[in-house]
Amino acid sequence: MALPLKADDWPHWRGPKRNGISVETGWTDQWPSEGPKIAWKAKVGLGFSSFAVANGRAFTLGHASDADTVFCFEADSGKVLWKHSYPSDLGDKYFDGGTTGTPTVDGDHVFTLGRWGDLFCFEAASGKIVWSKNVQKETSAPLPDWGFGGSPLVSGNMLVLNVGEAGLALDKTSGKIVWKSADKKSGYSTPLPMMQGEDMLMLLGSGQSYAAINPKNGQEAWRIRWATEYGVNAADPIVDGNRVFISSGYGKGAGLFKLGSGQPENIWTSKVLRNQMNPSILINGHLYGVDDDESNRPSLKCVEFATGAEKWSQPKFGSGGLTAADGKLIILGEKGELIIAPATPERFQPSARAQILGGKSWTAPVLANGRVYCRNSRGDVAVVDVRRK
Amino acid sequence: MNVPRRHFIKSSAGAGVAFTALPFISTAAEPGRTFRTALIGSGWWGKNILKEAMEAGRSKIVALCDVDAITLENAAEQVKDLSRDQPKTYKDYRELLEKEKPEIVIIGTPDHWHALPAIAALKAGAHVYLEKPTAHTVNESKALLHVARETGRVLQVGLHRRIGPHHASAMKFLREEKAGKVGMVRLFAHGGGGRETPKSNSQPPDGLDWNFWCGPAPLRPFSSSIHPGGFRNFLDYANGTLGDWGVHWLDQVLWWSGENYPKRVFCTGGRPISGPAVLNDKEQTSDAPDHQVAVFEFENFTCTWEHRKFADNHAEKHKIGAYFYGTKGTLHIGWRDGWTFHPANDREPVLHEDSQLQEPDGHNIKLLWADFLGAIDSKRSPVSHIEAAHRSSTIPLLGMISWRLGRSLAWDGAREEFVADPEANKLLSRKYRAPWEYPAV
Repeated sequence: MALPLKADDWPHWRGPKRNGISVETGWTDQWPSEGPKIAWKAKVGLGFSSFAVANGRAFTLGHASDADTVFCFEADSGKVLWKHSYPSDLGDKYFDGGTTGTPTVDGDHVFTLGRWGDLFCFEAASGKIVWSKNVQKETSAPLPDWGFGGSPLVSGNMLVLNVGEAGLALDKTSGKIVWKSADKKSGYSTPLPMMQGEDMLMLLGSGQSYAAINPKNGQEAWRIRWATEYGVNAADPIVDGNRVFISSGYGKGAGLFKLGSGQPENIWTSKVLRNQMNPSILINGHLYGVDDDESNRPSLKCVEFATGAEKWSQPKFGSGGLTAADGKLIILGEKGELIIAPATPERFQPSARAQILGGKSWTAPVLANGRVYCRNSRGDVAVVDVRRK
Repeated sequence: MNVPRRHFIKSSAGAGVAFTALPFISTAAEPGRTFRTALIGSGWWGKNILKEAMEAGRSKIVALCDVDAITLENAAEQVKDLSRDQPKTYKDYRELLEKEKPEIVIIGTPDHWHALPAIAALKAGAHVYLEKPTAHTVNESKALLHVARETGRVLQVGLHRRIGPHHASAMKFLREEKAGKVGMVRLFAHGGGGRETPKSNSQPPDGLDWNFWCGPAPLRPFSSSIHPGGFRNFLDYANGTLGDWGVHWLDQVLWWSGENYPKRVFCTGGRPISGPAVLNDKEQTSDAPDHQVAVFEFENFTCTWEHRKFADNHAEKHKIGAYFYGTKGTLHIGWRDGWTFHPANDREPVLHEDSQLQEPDGHNIKLLWADFLGAIDSKRSPVSHIEAAHRSSTIPLLGMISWRLGRSLAWDGAREEFVADPEANKLLSRKYRAPWEYPAV
């Protein structure tokens, strides 16, 4: 057993570079016929929260018996190092309910934001609560229809949340609110830091727009109106140089925008890629992602970033999530199948597939240190060993 | 089963006769022609029905209506994507009806907004496809029934289980007495859930006219737990699970039995798991019961209803449906699980038929829409006609009144009132919020 040639942690949503891509190489998709080795399994309760993996610990959340539980596992063995439960509603309007946000690890601390605004700062090693509060009650920001879904983002000494019309910032050490935005509905994306010229900005999916804000003071730099049914702007934007890609489901579609001074300029808008939940992944000028809503048997697609041209489509693929590493897509299909396929605009041709979980999964798998962390909605966790023997 | 059987034959054969005698205003039916079609209530479900209308190829979508500007904008965009139609958009259904003069109106609003637009659309001369239930209170439904009779327009109510293939074949099975004589029916709809803590009230989102959304019903502070998609659990705007699933299954019971109403009703239930209903200026919860049990005493059988929104597990074989308990065996009619017959005689095989549903919604709206068009073309009664849908929509409401009053009630179905019970009869109507006026019966 050996570690991959290049191993890495995945300390928060969408990974170290916040683009869904891991830098790991040397992991294997050559599985025996009976499927890859499962390193460990666990049950965490209902939900769609993904994993954060850092410093030998893996974190996620799930819901059971009127409570959300934050789990800290030993990443290698699956041993529960600590867990913390707090009262929380199931919230099953329109879907199964349960947790949707993913923990964020920042050094010795881990932050979690629940759907109803319960925010925690834990000591990552011990699970001791450093501080906690309900940000919805404190700010009176309206709950979006599915509750808050974005993960906390650490920026310097600040914790930025997708709460309110264009974010909410707290002092990460004390939990004290630094600034807040208008009491209007947020979207469900995780704040995404980007540089525009000299300025660091945060991109947020809001209720009816995507907004760029200055994380220091919450001031808005620009805003793209993006009205979506139910206000579901959930997929994180994708930034490439001076271009920003945004996409939403519910029939909305995608748009590419060029950043300059002032309002972003539209390059193209199309229905070709409608990311309802998970954002797409950009590799070598091509986007890979799920097009259309989970209820419509969505397609898996490859779309050219610059033009919006569709390169290939796998109809009726189903919903699901994906991540990528070493030029390969790592996909967890809706029915719990783990699929590895080269990320190429030529064709979709998986090099490996294995049924890892049952039930339903809409959660992107996470690759960290030679293991792929997979979960389904009912909270079955399967951690797949992809280290080379 | 002599009496119910006779009832059935009478009602099924008689219905068509009764309806052909009604005055049709329409000058001439031209099979295959296209209808100016409008949608009132352009959210998820309204658009789902509209899509079927568009796919059927006989609708030109002339107008959409919603009190939420964003919903309206999205719906209009989707119509333009799917067709060459350029529908006009309206916030007020009255203005739409006046300006567009649609020939078909689809109504996909929440329950408290069913009766008024449906009545207005019929009076404006449109054929109407109305989502079930017919109304939020009994006398609204009665008023709608009368207007439908007077105008002679086709009114199809969205009880797609009247045409769903496995339901139709299950009905045939029962009618041929393959389950023997049925003495008891059990209806149920179970799901998961848990405690509900109060959620903060908030300003309505930009573009939503919340006052209009509440309309004739009480104006509650806005909360995203109500809209979109949560109204069924708020009794100001709907009637909980009994007023939702209960309508479908009681409709099957009436269809099967040929009986039109129960003689007595008792219903109990509460919120032991979801917790007390809260409503104040800061926060609120829903207020529909998290479980209910109702008993409906019919002439020739007893029918029970139960729903619960907790303890979702595999202790019971089916989560949704109806058990018909007959002398030859038990028939379960479900949703996705089709129907299954468990014979009394162990040596006989268990019989099963799969459901045949249309995805993604898992219903049979396509068939119901085709029937609606067929009814318009041939001036016949649609399968889910208002006479039947009015009765099926009423019975759950009787259960809700018993539940509110905490006692059993005797129902005079011929007069559509409770027997010598002014307190209960008062609840057959509700007070409308001005300027809206309760429809006159």
